[in-house]
Amino acid sequence: MRVELSDITVRFGDLTAVDRVSLDFRSGEVHALVGENGAGKTTVMNALFGLVRSASGSIAVDGETCRWASPQDAIARGLGMVHQHFMLQDSMTVLENIVLCNEPTGRFGFVDFRAARAHMAEVATAYGIEVDLDATVGALSLGQRQVVEILKVLYRHADMLILDEPTAVLTPQEKDRLFGVLRNFRRDGKAIVLITHKLDEVMELADRVSVMRGGRLISSAPVAETTKTAIARDIVGGELPAEIARAERAPGAVVLSVDGLTVRSRGRTVGPISFDVRAGEIVGVAGVSGNGQAELVQALTGLRRAHGGSVRLAGRPLDGLDVGARRARGMSYIPEDRQRVGLALEARVSENAAIGRMDQPGFRRGPFRIRSAMNRFAAELIARYRIKVAGPEARAATMSGGNKQKLVVGRELSRDTPLVVVENPTWGVDIGAIEFIHSELVRMRDAGHAILMVSTELDEVLALSDRILVLYEGRISGEVARAEADRTAVGQLMVSHGPSAAEIAA
Amino acid sequence: MSVLDSTPPVRGLTPWIGVLVWILAILFVLMLAAGAPFGGALEGFLSGAFGGRRFAYLMTTLSRATLIVGMALAVMLSFRAGLFNIGGEGQLVLGGLVAALVGVYLPGPPLLVVAAGILAGMAAGAAWAVLAGVLQLYVGVPLLVGSLLLNYPARYLASYVVGHPLRDVASGLPQSHLVPVEAWLPFFPGTRLDIGILFVVAAAVFAIVYSHTTVHGYRARMTGHSAPFAEASGLPVRRLALQTLAMSGAIAGLVGAIAVFGIHHRYIDGMLVQPLYAWTGIVAVLLVKMIPWAVPLSGFFFAALQTGAAGMERAAGVPKELAITMQAVIILFVASRLTGLHFGGGAGEGGRPGEGGDGT
Repeated sequence: MRVELSDITVRFGDLTAVDRVSLDFRSGEVHALVGENGAGKTTVMNALFGLVRSASGSIAVDGETCRWASPQDAIARGLGMVHQHFMLQDSMTVLENIVLCNEPTGRFGFVDFRAARAHMAEVATAYGIEVDLDATVGALSLGQRQVVEILKVLYRHADMLILDEPTAVLTPQEKDRLFGVLRNFRRDGKAIVLITHKLDEVMELADRVSVMRGGRLISSAPVAETTKTAIARDIVGGELPAEIARAERAPGAVVLSVDGLTVRSRGRTVGPISFDVRAGEIVGVAGVSGNGQAELVQALTGLRRAHGGSVRLAGRPLDGLDVGARRARGMSYIPEDRQRVGLALEARVSENAAIGRMDQPGFRRGPFRIRSAMNRFAAELIARYRIKVAGPEARAATMSGGNKQKLVVGRELSRDTPLVVVENPTWGVDIGAIEFIHSELVRMRDAGHAILMVSTELDEVLALSDRILVLYEGRISGEVARAEADRTAVGQLMVSHGPSAAEIAA
Repeated sequence: MSVLDSTPPVRGLTPWIGVLVWILAILFVLMLAAGAPFGGALEGFLSGAFGGRRFAYLMTTLSRATLIVGMALAVMLSFRAGLFNIGGEGQLVLGGLVAALVGVYLPGPPLLVVAAGILAGMAAGAAWAVLAGVLQLYVGVPLLVGSLLLNYPARYLASYVVGHPLRDVASGLPQSHLVPVEAWLPFFPGTRLDIGILFVVAAAVFAIVYSHTTVHGYRARMTGHSAPFAEASGLPVRRLALQTLAMSGAIAGLVGAIAVFGIHHRYIDGMLVQPLYAWTGIVAVLLVKMIPWAVPLSGFFFAALQTGAAGMERAAGVPKELAITMQAVIILFVASRLTGLHFGGGAGEGGRPGEGGDGT
């Protein structure tokens, strides 16, 4: 199978998301498509899959020009796509999800699950996939759900498989398993497209790599003939920034002290969790999403009531205080969900920037707010954090993901509090913004602030943390110092409880 | 935030002409079906809404607009804060009832009675709205449900009070005694319009200034945009909610008091419920997407639609049912225009790269 895209252009209103991109995919090849967020990777694949209409250009499958009216046509021609956000029915079983919308029917119009089961079992063994077809999808881990998505595509006899950021939610072990399956696909002659921004994965698995930037195709070459540095340079379009310099570690007094904190949520208990964060250090909390990170952060910030234990900030207990009181005592919070929690998208940039500052002198006159002060403050943040936006009066929704995040980061860090709680600070933002946000966090650390960073992105935790705590099933499964931290050690702790106290004592 | 909030309601004139043509065409067909004269009906509508001898009908429209705009302002304040308080009716009824009881039974100089009656009505409306807020925050009854259900006790409590213990038995109707005539709100000289409208104008000025310039209004609006955002930013979300509901309820109560002291001079069972003031107020607010300065205009528009329909019935014999159907047609088309749907076209602007495009 050979799929050729020629001169594909996609426009959204005035914005050209994809600009005359030509790509060529073949059987038995893993083709990596890399680029920053917003570079147009997903959009060009959506155009190939019939999800968005291209303004011009053509698609040819095995030399024959095709026009899709809908993704159904693309599927019929053997294309399959696994989206970044899974599209599964949580309450149905794996098998039901797989056959959904494509049910094999028996003589009387009933779904013939037996035939489907036999077929799937065959496919699963052929590619070395382990899955329980009768499990309910809602009970599966994210890695297992991804397997279900892939099976769904295989069930429809796809010859070409498009995977959008497939490893974003996987543990290192799950990632290895996925790559094993993809290698089997390649051996079997399927064409595989891997949309990613992780270059290690490209070097490990791909045969060919194409780089997109600003909607254009920058380069396309066999992986063997290029280097990681060259690809990275194509992605950012210029020289790569140097690694972030950090001051010698000199942790000061304990700023945040968590002792036996327990949180109950939806029938399960998170904790007891105990740890300290000192001034001048970044403590990273690693773990697969859903292992108690959200509960921990919410209990610390006051968004959720703790069930037991205590939290102290600079020696003073915070227990029972609400969010406002905790922030007033010296805490800032960068939430992971900038769309709902970090920002009010429909409001202006200035209104987002000044939230929580209205009681400071200069921002209000009696019951009235001073709009010029709000605008001036927003303009300062825009300049200081290099936020690309029309101005303080622009709506927050008009910014790109990276700039939105910079606004949130800038707003919180500029409060200059002893403690900063950070949650997935670079989730879904482009490389430039990641770089900037990371260096700002390190700058805060060097200036003597205590930073607690919860992140499901292992590379981020490894790059920034002075100490790493790993959360697994609601408890800390281990602590690793920066010097000893490596992917395998932390990865192990992410999927199992570490050696228990009893074992260590023995 | 400038006065030109959200998308300006007028994006271009051409689509509006299209809408107008559609409305007229449908109205024409409806009238043809009912056998009513088209020209006469239109004339009846206009004079019914804005005309009459010495503009008597315009005064009626203004009087009705007073109540609708008042209710719309109450709704706007809570909706903008993300509080779906649809219990305006209950707050209105209790405000009217309490104001009437104060007016009838409180001895004292007339000015004091009016002032006390209005303040008591506002307090009653505020209390009823806050009760719905407390139910949501501390008992877990969603505001949408709680505020709606609280309409019923308010309504039937008022019916009972003026139907049994405090009924004006001699009148033969379920209604309270009359407020002493000295305590009635005076008419504007030479008209049949009472000065209640001034209270609503004041409320409108307050609501617009509050929404655009105060810290409280700003915080409430941020909460309305995203409650998790407000909470994570450390805003006192519960206090904001209860205070906003109190303001909203107080304005509803004020409207009830105005209706008593200015129009009916007593509490008559159903006088605030049957004309659907509270519900019209909600529609009026939604029609202009909660933009403060547009709310009074929208309220006036609805009042004119209603009095105009009555005029159409009088002048051209168009049945009221048909008039109400036409009203619905007009509202639907105007609403569709304001929310950006197109007629006779495709999906319009099409999909824009939202934050979904963030993860390209």
